[in-house]
Amino acid sequence: MSNSLFDLPFEEPPAAEPDPDRDPGSGVRDPVEAEPRRVFSVSQLTGRIREMLEERFFEIWVEGEISNCFIAKTGHVYFTLKDAGAQIKAVMFRSDIRYLRFKIKDGLSVVARGRLTVYDPKGEYQIICQHLEPEGLGARQLAFDQLKERLAKEGLFDARRKRPLPALPRKIGVVTSLDGAAVRDIIKVLRRRYANVHIIIRPARVQGEGAALEIARAMAAIGKVKGVDVVVVGRGGGSIEDLWAFNEEVVARAIAGCPVPTISAVGHETDVTIADFVADLRAPTPSAAAEMVVTRKDDFCARIDRLGHRLRATFQMRVAMRGRRADDVAHQLLRALRGRIARRERAYQALLLKLERLDVRRRFEVMRGRLAAVDGRLLTGVGRRMHGADARFRATAARLDSLSPLAVLGRGYAVCWNADHSAIVRDASTVGSGGKVHVKLERGELDCTVD
Amino acid sequence: MDSTIKDFEGAIAELETIVKKLEDGDLPLETSLQLYERGVQLSRFCHAQLEQAEKRIEILNERGQLVPAPPTLGTDE
Repeated sequence: MSNSLFDLPFEEPPAAEPDPDRDPGSGVRDPVEAEPRRVFSVSQLTGRIREMLEERFFEIWVEGEISNCFIAKTGHVYFTLKDAGAQIKAVMFRSDIRYLRFKIKDGLSVVARGRLTVYDPKGEYQIICQHLEPEGLGARQLAFDQLKERLAKEGLFDARRKRPLPALPRKIGVVTSLDGAAVRDIIKVLRRRYANVHIIIRPARVQGEGAALEIARAMAAIGKVKGVDVVVVGRGGGSIEDLWAFNEEVVARAIAGCPVPTISAVGHETDVTIADFVADLRAPTPSAAAEMVVTRKDDFCARIDRLGHRLRATFQMRVAMRGRRADDVAHQLLRALRGRIARRERAYQALLLKLERLDVRRRFEVMRGRLAAVDGRLLTGVGRRMHGADARFRATAARLDSLSPLAVLGRGYAVCWNADHSAIVRDASTVGSGGKVHVKLERGELDCTVD
Repeated sequence: MDSTIKDFEGAIAELETIVKKLEDGDLPLETSLQLYERGVQLSRFCHAQLEQAEKRIEILNERGQLVPAPPTLGTDE
Protein backbone atom coordinates (compact mmCIF):
# COMPACT_ATOMS: atom_id res chain seq x y z
CA MET A 1 0.00 0.00 0.00
CA SER A 2 2.89 2.27 0.54
CA ASN A 3 3.05 3.00 -3.11
CA SER A 4 -0.65 3.71 -3.27
CA LEU A 5 -1.66 6.82 -5.04
CA PHE A 6 -3.18 8.10 -1.86
CA ASP A 7 -0.05 8.24 0.07
CA LEU A 8 1.09 10.93 -2.25
CA PRO A 9 -0.04 14.01 -0.43
CA PHE A 10 1.56 12.91 2.77
CA GLU A 11 4.71 11.20 1.77
CA GLU A 12 7.58 11.76 -0.43
CA PRO A 13 6.68 10.85 -3.97
CA PRO A 14 8.06 7.48 -4.83
CA ALA A 15 10.86 7.46 -7.28
CA ALA A 16 8.82 7.32 -10.38
CA GLU A 17 11.60 8.28 -12.64
CA PRO A 18 13.87 5.43 -13.69
CA ASP A 19 17.41 5.85 -12.63
CA PRO A 20 19.06 7.17 -15.73
CA ASP A 21 22.29 5.56 -14.66
CA ARG A 22 20.70 2.24 -14.60
CA ASP A 23 21.17 -0.22 -17.25
CA PRO A 24 18.16 0.11 -19.45
CA GLY A 25 18.30 -3.53 -20.01
CA SER A 26 18.27 -4.45 -16.38
CA GLY A 27 14.61 -5.34 -16.61
CA VAL A 28 13.23 -2.15 -15.05
CA ARG A 29 10.04 -1.40 -16.80
CA ASP A 30 8.78 1.85 -18.07
CA PRO A 31 6.90 3.51 -15.20
CA VAL A 32 3.68 3.69 -17.11
CA GLU A 33 3.90 0.13 -18.04
CA ALA A 34 5.27 -0.86 -14.62
CA GLU A 35 2.30 0.79 -12.89
CA PRO A 36 -0.52 -0.32 -14.98
CA ARG A 37 -3.48 2.01 -14.83
CA ARG A 38 -5.51 1.17 -11.79
CA VAL A 39 -9.18 2.16 -11.72
CA PHE A 40 -10.87 2.45 -8.34
CA SER A 41 -14.53 2.28 -7.80
CA VAL A 42 -15.88 5.33 -5.89
CA SER A 43 -16.54 3.11 -2.92
CA GLN A 44 -13.04 1.77 -2.97
CA LEU A 45 -11.60 5.22 -3.24
CA THR A 46 -13.77 6.54 -0.46
CA GLY A 47 -12.90 3.54 1.64
CA ARG A 48 -9.23 4.27 1.13
CA ILE A 49 -9.73 7.90 2.07
CA ARG A 50 -11.65 6.89 5.17
CA GLU A 51 -9.04 4.41 6.29
CA MET A 52 -6.36 6.96 5.81
CA LEU A 53 -8.13 9.72 7.73
CA GLU A 54 -9.15 7.41 10.55
CA GLU A 55 -5.62 6.19 10.92
CA ARG A 56 -4.12 9.64 10.87
CA PHE A 57 -6.65 11.52 12.98
CA PHE A 58 -7.87 8.99 15.48
CA GLU A 59 -7.58 11.34 18.42
CA ILE A 60 -7.48 15.06 17.86
CA TRP A 61 -8.61 18.20 19.63
CA VAL A 62 -10.20 20.97 17.66
CA GLU A 63 -11.76 24.19 18.72
CA GLY A 64 -14.54 26.01 17.00
CA GLU A 65 -18.04 27.33 17.23
CA ILE A 66 -21.06 25.10 16.97
CA SER A 67 -23.61 25.85 14.26
CA ASN A 68 -26.38 24.05 12.38
CA CYS A 69 -26.87 21.82 15.35
CA PHE A 70 -29.75 19.33 15.28
CA ILE A 71 -30.70 16.25 17.25
CA ALA A 72 -31.66 13.19 15.24
CA LYS A 73 -34.38 10.79 16.31
CA THR A 74 -31.66 8.37 17.31
CA GLY A 75 -30.44 10.88 19.87
CA HIS A 76 -27.22 11.60 18.03
CA VAL A 77 -26.43 15.28 17.56
CA TYR A 78 -25.17 16.60 14.25
CA PHE A 79 -23.54 20.01 13.94
CA THR A 80 -20.89 22.02 12.21
CA LEU A 81 -17.73 23.28 13.86
CA LYS A 82 -16.46 26.43 12.29
CA ASP A 83 -14.09 29.30 12.69
CA ALA A 84 -13.54 32.40 10.57
CA GLY A 85 -11.98 30.50 7.71
CA ALA A 86 -13.33 26.98 7.61
CA GLN A 87 -15.85 24.50 8.83
CA ILE A 88 -16.05 20.80 9.49
CA LYS A 89 -19.03 18.55 9.92
CA ALA A 90 -19.33 16.97 13.30
CA VAL A 91 -21.41 14.37 15.03
CA MET A 92 -21.72 13.28 18.63
CA PHE A 93 -23.39 10.01 19.44
CA ARG A 94 -26.04 9.63 22.09
CA SER A 95 -23.86 7.32 24.15
CA ASP A 96 -21.27 10.10 24.55
CA ILE A 97 -23.78 12.92 24.98
CA ARG A 98 -24.97 11.21 28.15
CA TYR A 99 -21.79 12.28 29.85
CA LEU A 100 -21.99 15.91 28.79
CA ARG A 101 -22.87 18.31 31.54
CA PHE A 102 -24.30 20.85 29.14
CA LYS A 103 -26.47 20.88 26.09
CA ILE A 104 -24.99 21.29 22.60
CA LYS A 105 -26.28 24.55 21.21
CA ASP A 106 -25.60 26.78 18.24
CA GLY A 107 -23.18 29.58 19.00
CA LEU A 108 -21.28 27.76 21.71
CA SER A 109 -17.53 27.83 21.40
CA VAL A 110 -16.17 24.45 22.26
CA VAL A 111 -13.08 22.36 22.30
CA ALA A 112 -13.91 19.00 20.83
CA ARG A 113 -12.02 15.79 21.24
CA GLY A 114 -12.68 13.19 18.58
CA ARG A 115 -11.58 11.32 15.51
CA LEU A 116 -12.05 11.95 11.85
CA THR A 117 -13.96 9.68 9.60
CA VAL A 118 -15.70 9.76 6.27
CA TYR A 119 -19.34 9.19 5.75
CA ASP A 120 -19.16 7.09 2.63
CA PRO A 121 -22.67 7.60 1.22
CA LYS A 122 -22.14 11.34 1.09
CA GLY A 123 -18.44 11.48 0.60
CA GLU A 124 -18.14 13.85 3.47
CA TYR A 125 -15.48 13.78 6.11
CA GLN A 126 -16.48 14.66 9.60
CA ILE A 127 -15.30 14.59 13.15
CA ILE A 128 -16.92 12.17 15.56
CA CYS A 129 -16.79 14.01 18.86
CA GLN A 130 -16.28 11.95 21.98
CA HIS A 131 -16.13 14.86 24.33
CA LEU A 132 -16.94 18.54 24.24
CA GLU A 133 -15.90 21.26 26.60
CA PRO A 134 -17.44 24.65 26.42
CA GLU A 135 -14.94 27.44 26.09
CA GLY A 136 -15.10 30.79 27.76
CA LEU A 137 -17.94 30.36 30.24
CA GLY A 138 -16.82 27.74 32.69
CA ALA A 139 -18.03 24.32 31.71
CA ARG A 140 -19.40 23.69 35.16
CA GLN A 141 -21.25 26.95 35.40
CA LEU A 142 -22.80 26.34 32.03
CA ALA A 143 -23.79 22.83 32.98
CA PHE A 144 -25.25 24.14 36.23
CA ASP A 145 -27.27 26.86 34.51
CA GLN A 146 -28.56 24.57 31.82
CA LEU A 147 -29.58 21.80 34.18
CA LYS A 148 -31.19 24.28 36.52
CA GLU A 149 -33.15 25.82 33.68
CA ARG A 150 -34.23 22.46 32.34
CA LEU A 151 -35.35 21.04 35.69
CA ALA A 152 -37.12 24.29 36.52
CA LYS A 153 -39.04 24.00 33.26
CA GLU A 154 -40.00 20.48 34.20
CA GLY A 155 -41.42 21.88 37.42
CA LEU A 156 -39.05 20.01 39.70
CA PHE A 157 -38.46 23.12 41.82
CA ASP A 158 -42.13 24.12 42.11
CA ALA A 159 -43.22 25.22 45.53
CA ARG A 160 -46.30 23.04 45.36
CA ARG A 161 -44.10 19.97 45.03
CA LYS A 162 -42.52 20.72 48.39
CA ARG A 163 -43.72 18.38 51.09
CA PRO A 164 -43.90 19.29 54.76
CA LEU A 165 -41.58 17.45 57.10
CA PRO A 166 -43.12 15.03 59.58
CA ALA A 167 -43.69 16.63 62.98
CA LEU A 168 -42.11 13.75 64.85
CA PRO A 169 -39.99 11.60 62.51
CA ARG A 170 -39.96 7.91 63.37
CA LYS A 171 -36.74 7.11 61.52
CA ILE A 172 -34.43 9.69 59.99
CA GLY A 173 -32.56 8.66 56.85
CA VAL A 174 -29.15 10.20 56.18
CA VAL A 175 -27.28 9.95 52.90
CA THR A 176 -23.68 11.13 53.20
CA SER A 177 -20.13 9.91 53.52
CA LEU A 178 -19.11 8.13 56.72
CA ASP A 179 -15.71 9.79 56.49
CA GLY A 180 -16.82 13.39 56.53
CA ALA A 181 -17.64 15.67 59.41
CA ALA A 182 -21.22 16.04 58.23
CA VAL A 183 -22.39 12.68 59.52
CA ARG A 184 -21.00 13.37 63.00
CA ASP A 185 -22.50 16.85 63.07
CA ILE A 186 -25.89 15.49 62.13
CA ILE A 187 -25.79 12.76 64.75
CA LYS A 188 -24.63 15.16 67.44
CA VAL A 189 -27.37 17.69 66.80
CA LEU A 190 -30.12 15.09 66.47
CA ARG A 191 -29.07 13.47 69.73
CA ARG A 192 -28.96 16.80 71.51
CA ARG A 193 -32.44 17.78 70.45
CA TYR A 194 -34.10 14.45 70.74
CA ALA A 195 -32.23 11.84 72.72
CA ASN A 196 -34.12 8.74 71.63
CA VAL A 197 -33.88 9.38 67.91
CA HIS A 198 -33.61 6.56 65.37
CA ILE A 199 -31.13 7.32 62.57
CA ILE A 200 -30.43 5.21 59.50
CA ILE A 201 -27.36 6.17 57.50
CA ARG A 202 -26.83 5.08 53.94
CA PRO A 203 -23.16 5.77 53.19
CA ALA A 204 -22.23 7.22 49.81
CA ARG A 205 -19.12 8.78 48.40
CA VAL A 206 -19.91 12.46 48.03
CA GLN A 207 -17.10 13.57 45.75
CA GLY A 208 -15.06 12.33 42.82
CA GLU A 209 -15.97 10.26 39.81
CA GLY A 210 -19.10 8.19 40.30
CA ALA A 211 -20.13 10.03 43.47
CA ALA A 212 -23.31 11.36 41.89
CA LEU A 213 -24.46 7.90 40.92
CA GLU A 214 -23.67 6.58 44.39
CA ILE A 215 -25.65 9.35 46.03
CA ALA A 216 -28.56 8.70 43.69
CA ARG A 217 -28.51 4.99 44.46
CA ALA A 218 -28.27 5.67 48.17
CA MET A 219 -31.30 7.96 47.98
CA ALA A 220 -33.28 5.26 46.21
CA ALA A 221 -32.21 2.62 48.75
CA ILE A 222 -32.98 4.66 51.86
CA GLY A 223 -36.33 5.77 50.48
CA LYS A 224 -37.36 2.14 50.53
CA VAL A 225 -36.52 1.46 54.16
CA LYS A 226 -39.74 0.93 56.09
CA GLY A 227 -40.48 3.63 58.59
CA VAL A 228 -37.99 6.19 57.26
CA ASP A 229 -40.11 9.30 56.98
CA VAL A 230 -37.54 11.98 56.16
CA VAL A 231 -34.13 11.93 54.44
CA VAL A 232 -31.21 14.30 54.91
CA VAL A 233 -28.76 14.27 52.00
CA GLY A 234 -25.57 16.27 51.94
CA ARG A 235 -21.97 16.75 52.89
CA GLY A 236 -19.70 19.25 54.56
CA GLY A 237 -17.96 22.16 52.91
CA GLY A 238 -15.48 21.88 50.05
CA SER A 239 -14.48 23.33 46.72
CA ILE A 240 -16.96 23.71 43.88
CA GLU A 241 -15.45 20.57 42.38
CA ASP A 242 -15.91 18.69 45.64
CA LEU A 243 -19.56 19.62 45.83
CA TRP A 244 -20.19 18.96 42.16
CA ALA A 245 -21.96 15.64 42.55
CA PHE A 246 -24.87 17.58 44.05
CA ASN A 247 -25.21 19.48 40.78
CA GLU A 248 -25.63 16.33 38.75
CA GLU A 249 -28.93 15.51 37.17
CA VAL A 250 -28.94 11.96 38.47
CA VAL A 251 -28.83 13.26 42.06
CA ALA A 252 -31.51 15.85 41.38
CA ARG A 253 -33.79 13.15 39.97
CA ALA A 254 -33.12 10.82 42.88
CA ILE A 255 -34.04 13.55 45.36
CA ALA A 256 -37.18 14.41 43.41
CA GLY A 257 -38.10 10.74 43.28
CA CYS A 258 -37.65 10.11 47.00
CA PRO A 259 -40.95 8.86 48.43
CA VAL A 260 -40.50 10.81 51.69
CA PRO A 261 -39.62 14.48 52.31
CA THR A 262 -35.98 15.42 51.76
CA ILE A 263 -33.64 18.01 53.21
CA SER A 264 -30.51 18.98 51.30
CA ALA A 265 -27.48 20.11 53.27
CA VAL A 266 -24.51 20.70 51.00
CA GLY A 267 -21.42 22.58 52.07
CA HIS A 268 -21.78 25.93 53.74
CA GLU A 269 -24.41 28.62 53.80
CA THR A 270 -23.14 30.18 50.55
CA ASP A 271 -23.00 26.97 48.53
CA VAL A 272 -26.09 26.46 46.44
CA THR A 273 -26.49 23.28 44.44
CA ILE A 274 -29.14 21.84 42.15
CA ALA A 275 -29.92 19.39 44.95
CA ASP A 276 -30.96 22.36 47.10
CA PHE A 277 -33.55 23.42 44.54
CA VAL A 278 -35.06 19.97 44.25
CA ALA A 279 -35.15 19.00 47.93
CA ASP A 280 -38.27 19.75 49.93
CA LEU A 281 -36.19 21.87 52.25
CA ARG A 282 -32.73 23.36 51.91
CA ALA A 283 -30.53 23.51 54.97
CA PRO A 284 -27.50 25.82 54.92
CA THR A 285 -25.35 23.17 56.64
CA PRO A 286 -25.66 19.55 57.78
CA SER A 287 -26.04 20.67 61.41
CA ALA A 288 -28.83 23.01 60.41
CA ALA A 289 -30.53 20.15 58.58
CA ALA A 290 -30.49 18.11 61.77
CA GLU A 291 -32.04 21.02 63.62
CA MET A 292 -34.79 21.32 61.05
CA VAL A 293 -35.61 17.66 61.09
CA VAL A 294 -36.56 17.40 64.74
CA THR A 295 -38.34 19.91 66.86
CA ARG A 296 -37.00 19.83 70.34
CA LYS A 297 -38.67 17.16 72.38
CA ASP A 298 -39.15 19.75 75.11
CA ASP A 299 -41.02 21.98 72.69
CA PHE A 300 -43.37 19.16 71.89
CA CYS A 301 -43.95 18.32 75.53
CA ALA A 302 -44.71 21.95 76.28
CA ARG A 303 -47.08 22.19 73.35
CA ILE A 304 -49.00 19.09 74.34
CA ASP A 305 -49.14 20.21 77.94
CA ARG A 306 -50.52 23.58 76.88
CA LEU A 307 -53.18 21.86 74.82
CA GLY A 308 -54.00 19.54 77.70
CA HIS A 309 -54.36 22.49 80.02
CA ARG A 310 -56.62 24.37 77.64
CA LEU A 311 -58.66 21.22 77.21
CA ARG A 312 -59.26 20.82 80.93
CA ALA A 313 -59.85 24.51 81.57
CA THR A 314 -62.34 24.95 78.77
CA PHE A 315 -64.15 21.77 79.67
CA GLN A 316 -64.52 22.79 83.30
CA MET A 317 -65.85 26.14 82.17
CA ARG A 318 -68.37 24.43 79.92
CA VAL A 319 -69.57 22.25 82.76
CA ALA A 320 -69.86 25.23 85.07
CA MET A 321 -71.89 27.12 82.49
CA ARG A 322 -74.16 24.14 82.04
CA GLY A 323 -74.62 24.00 85.83
CA ARG A 324 -75.64 27.64 85.96
CA ARG A 325 -78.13 27.04 83.21
CA ALA A 326 -79.64 24.15 85.10
CA ASP A 327 -80.04 26.46 88.08
CA ASP A 328 -81.81 28.99 85.90
CA VAL A 329 -84.26 26.37 84.72
CA ALA A 330 -84.94 25.30 88.30
CA HIS A 331 -85.67 28.90 89.21
CA GLN A 332 -88.11 29.29 86.39
CA LEU A 333 -89.80 26.07 87.42
CA LEU A 334 -90.08 27.23 91.00
CA ARG A 335 -91.55 30.56 89.97
CA ALA A 336 -94.10 28.87 87.77
CA LEU A 337 -94.99 26.53 90.59
CA ARG A 338 -95.40 29.36 93.05
CA GLY A 339 -97.79 31.06 90.62
CA ARG A 340 -99.82 27.92 90.49
CA ILE A 341 -99.80 27.64 94.26
CA ALA A 342 -101.00 31.23 94.52
CA ARG A 343 -103.82 30.51 92.10
CA ARG A 344 -104.79 27.43 94.07
CA GLU A 345 -104.62 29.52 97.20
CA ARG A 346 -107.08 32.02 95.76
CA ALA A 347 -109.42 29.23 94.67
CA TYR A 348 -109.12 27.79 98.09
CA GLN A 349 -109.99 31.13 99.71
CA ALA A 350 -113.08 31.38 97.53
CA LEU A 351 -114.12 27.91 98.52
CA LEU A 352 -113.47 28.75 102.13
CA LEU A 353 -115.83 31.68 101.86
CA LYS A 354 -118.52 29.47 100.40
CA LEU A 355 -117.97 26.87 103.07
CA GLU A 356 -118.34 29.44 105.81
CA ARG A 357 -121.63 30.36 104.35
CA LEU A 358 -122.60 26.72 104.25
CA ASP A 359 -121.90 26.51 107.97
CA VAL A 360 -119.45 23.69 107.78
CA ARG A 361 -116.91 25.68 109.65
CA ARG A 362 -115.87 23.05 112.05
CA ARG A 363 -115.25 20.47 109.39
CA PHE A 364 -113.38 23.09 107.47
CA GLU A 365 -111.22 23.98 110.45
CA VAL A 366 -110.06 20.42 110.57
CA MET A 367 -109.50 20.45 106.84
CA ARG A 368 -107.60 23.69 107.03
CA GLY A 369 -105.26 22.29 109.60
CA ARG A 370 -104.50 19.38 107.35
CA LEU A 371 -104.18 21.63 104.36
CA ALA A 372 -101.82 23.95 106.15
CA ALA A 373 -99.65 21.00 106.98
CA VAL A 374 -99.73 19.73 103.42
CA ASP A 375 -99.17 23.21 102.11
CA GLY A 376 -96.15 23.68 104.28
CA ARG A 377 -94.68 20.41 103.13
CA LEU A 378 -95.47 21.37 99.61
CA LEU A 379 -93.63 24.63 99.89
CA THR A 380 -90.56 23.26 101.64
CA GLY A 381 -90.40 20.23 99.42
CA VAL A 382 -90.72 22.23 96.28
CA GLY A 383 -87.09 23.09 95.95
CA ARG A 384 -86.00 19.52 96.35
CA ARG A 385 -88.59 17.65 94.46
CA MET A 386 -90.61 19.95 92.35
CA HIS A 387 -92.45 17.33 90.44
CA GLY A 388 -93.31 15.39 93.57
CA ALA A 389 -94.60 18.52 95.21
CA ASP A 390 -96.68 19.35 92.22
CA ALA A 391 -98.26 15.90 92.22
CA ARG A 392 -98.99 16.14 95.88
CA PHE A 393 -100.51 19.55 95.41
CA ARG A 394 -102.80 18.14 92.77
CA ALA A 395 -103.92 15.45 95.16
CA THR A 396 -104.56 17.98 97.88
CA ALA A 397 -106.52 20.19 95.54
CA ALA A 398 -108.62 17.20 94.59
CA ARG A 399 -109.37 16.64 98.23
CA LEU A 400 -110.26 20.25 98.55
CA ASP A 401 -112.83 19.74 95.79
CA SER A 402 -114.52 17.07 97.86
CA LEU A 403 -115.48 19.77 100.30
CA SER A 404 -117.75 21.44 97.76
CA PRO A 405 -121.34 22.01 98.96
CA LEU A 406 -122.62 19.40 96.60
CA ALA A 407 -120.38 16.85 98.24
CA VAL A 408 -121.83 17.86 101.61
CA LEU A 409 -125.28 17.06 100.26
CA GLY A 410 -124.00 13.59 99.55
CA ARG A 411 -123.54 13.06 103.23
CA GLY A 412 -127.26 13.76 103.87
CA TYR A 413 -127.37 17.49 104.34
CA ALA A 414 -129.92 19.47 102.38
CA VAL A 415 -130.03 23.08 101.28
CA CYS A 416 -133.25 24.94 101.54
CA TRP A 417 -133.83 27.72 99.01
CA ASN A 418 -136.62 30.31 99.08
CA ALA A 419 -139.48 30.25 96.57
CA ASP A 420 -137.65 32.06 93.77
CA HIS A 421 -134.27 30.41 94.43
CA SER A 422 -132.79 33.79 95.30
CA ALA A 423 -131.62 32.98 98.81
CA ILE A 424 -130.91 30.10 101.14
CA VAL A 425 -133.38 29.85 103.95
CA ARG A 426 -131.46 30.15 107.18
CA ASP A 427 -134.27 31.19 109.52
CA ALA A 428 -137.65 29.34 109.74
CA SER A 429 -139.41 32.55 110.60
CA THR A 430 -138.66 33.98 107.19
CA VAL A 431 -141.07 31.53 105.64
CA GLY A 432 -144.74 31.83 106.60
CA SER A 433 -147.30 29.07 106.64
CA GLY A 434 -148.24 28.09 103.13
CA GLY A 435 -144.95 29.55 101.80
CA LYS A 436 -143.02 27.69 99.13
CA VAL A 437 -139.45 26.48 99.57
CA HIS A 438 -137.14 24.31 97.50
CA VAL A 439 -135.07 21.71 99.25
CA LYS A 440 -132.02 20.66 97.34
CA LEU A 441 -130.87 17.13 98.04
CA GLU A 442 -127.87 15.28 96.69
CA ARG A 443 -129.97 14.09 93.82
CA GLY A 444 -132.87 16.29 92.83
CA GLU A 445 -134.89 18.91 94.59
CA LEU A 446 -138.13 18.92 96.57
CA ASP A 447 -140.63 21.72 96.00
CA CYS A 448 -142.29 22.04 99.37
CA THR A 449 -145.14 23.98 100.94
CA VAL A 450 -144.71 24.96 104.59
CA ASP A 451 -147.55 23.98 106.92
CA MET B 1 -53.55 2.79 72.61
CA ASP B 2 -56.68 3.67 70.70
CA SER B 3 -56.44 2.33 67.15
CA THR B 4 -58.39 5.31 65.80
CA ILE B 5 -55.37 7.54 66.49
CA LYS B 6 -53.33 7.46 63.31
CA ASP B 7 -50.03 9.07 64.16
CA PHE B 8 -48.38 11.71 66.26
CA GLU B 9 -49.08 14.50 63.81
CA GLY B 10 -52.70 13.49 63.41
CA ALA B 11 -53.09 13.28 67.17
CA ILE B 12 -51.69 16.76 67.79
CA ALA B 13 -53.84 18.21 65.02
CA GLU B 14 -56.97 16.53 66.39
CA LEU B 15 -56.18 17.64 69.90
CA GLU B 16 -55.87 21.21 68.68
CA THR B 17 -59.20 20.96 66.87
CA ILE B 18 -60.91 19.57 69.95
CA VAL B 19 -59.59 22.31 72.21
CA LYS B 20 -60.71 24.94 69.68
CA LYS B 21 -64.15 23.35 69.41
CA LEU B 22 -64.55 23.29 73.15
CA GLU B 23 -63.37 26.88 73.42
CA ASP B 24 -65.48 28.27 70.59
CA GLY B 25 -68.56 26.15 70.30
CA ASP B 26 -71.74 26.14 72.30
CA LEU B 27 -71.95 22.39 72.54
CA PRO B 28 -74.35 20.12 74.35
CA LEU B 29 -72.91 18.79 77.60
CA GLU B 30 -72.87 15.29 76.19
CA THR B 31 -70.70 16.34 73.22
CA SER B 32 -68.39 18.40 75.42
CA LEU B 33 -67.82 15.37 77.60
CA GLN B 34 -67.09 13.15 74.63
CA LEU B 35 -64.64 15.68 73.21
CA TYR B 36 -62.95 16.08 76.55
CA GLU B 37 -62.45 12.35 76.93
CA ARG B 38 -61.07 12.11 73.40
CA GLY B 39 -58.76 15.03 74.10
CA VAL B 40 -57.33 13.38 77.19
CA GLN B 41 -56.77 10.21 75.21
CA LEU B 42 -54.93 12.10 72.44
CA SER B 43 -52.77 14.00 74.87
CA ARG B 44 -51.71 10.74 76.52
CA PHE B 45 -50.99 9.23 73.13
CA CYS B 46 -48.72 12.14 72.18
CA HIS B 47 -46.74 11.91 75.37
CA ALA B 48 -46.34 8.19 74.89
CA GLN B 49 -45.15 8.70 71.31
CA LEU B 50 -42.50 11.15 72.45
CA GLU B 51 -41.09 8.57 74.80
CA GLN B 52 -41.52 5.68 72.41
CA ALA B 53 -38.97 6.46 69.67
CA GLU B 54 -36.00 4.15 69.73
CA LYS B 55 -32.56 5.48 70.43
CA ARG B 56 -30.63 3.77 67.68
CA ILE B 57 -28.20 4.48 64.84
CA GLU B 58 -27.96 2.02 62.00
CA ILE B 59 -26.14 1.75 58.70
CA LEU B 60 -27.95 0.59 55.61
CA ASN B 61 -25.30 -1.39 53.78
CA GLU B 62 -24.87 -2.25 50.10
CA ARG B 63 -26.84 -5.44 50.51
CA GLY B 64 -29.76 -3.52 51.91
CA GLN B 65 -29.18 -4.78 55.46
CA LEU B 66 -29.44 -2.64 58.55
CA VAL B 67 -26.42 -3.00 60.80
CA PRO B 68 -25.52 -1.08 63.96
CA ALA B 69 -23.34 1.96 63.31
CA PRO B 70 -19.76 1.83 64.56
CA PRO B 71 -19.25 3.62 67.87
CA THR B 72 -16.79 5.97 66.15
CA LEU B 73 -19.76 7.82 64.72
CA GLY B 74 -20.60 9.11 68.14
CA THR B 75 -23.12 6.44 68.94
CA ASP B 76 -21.35 5.59 72.19
CA GLU B 77 -22.23 8.86 73.86
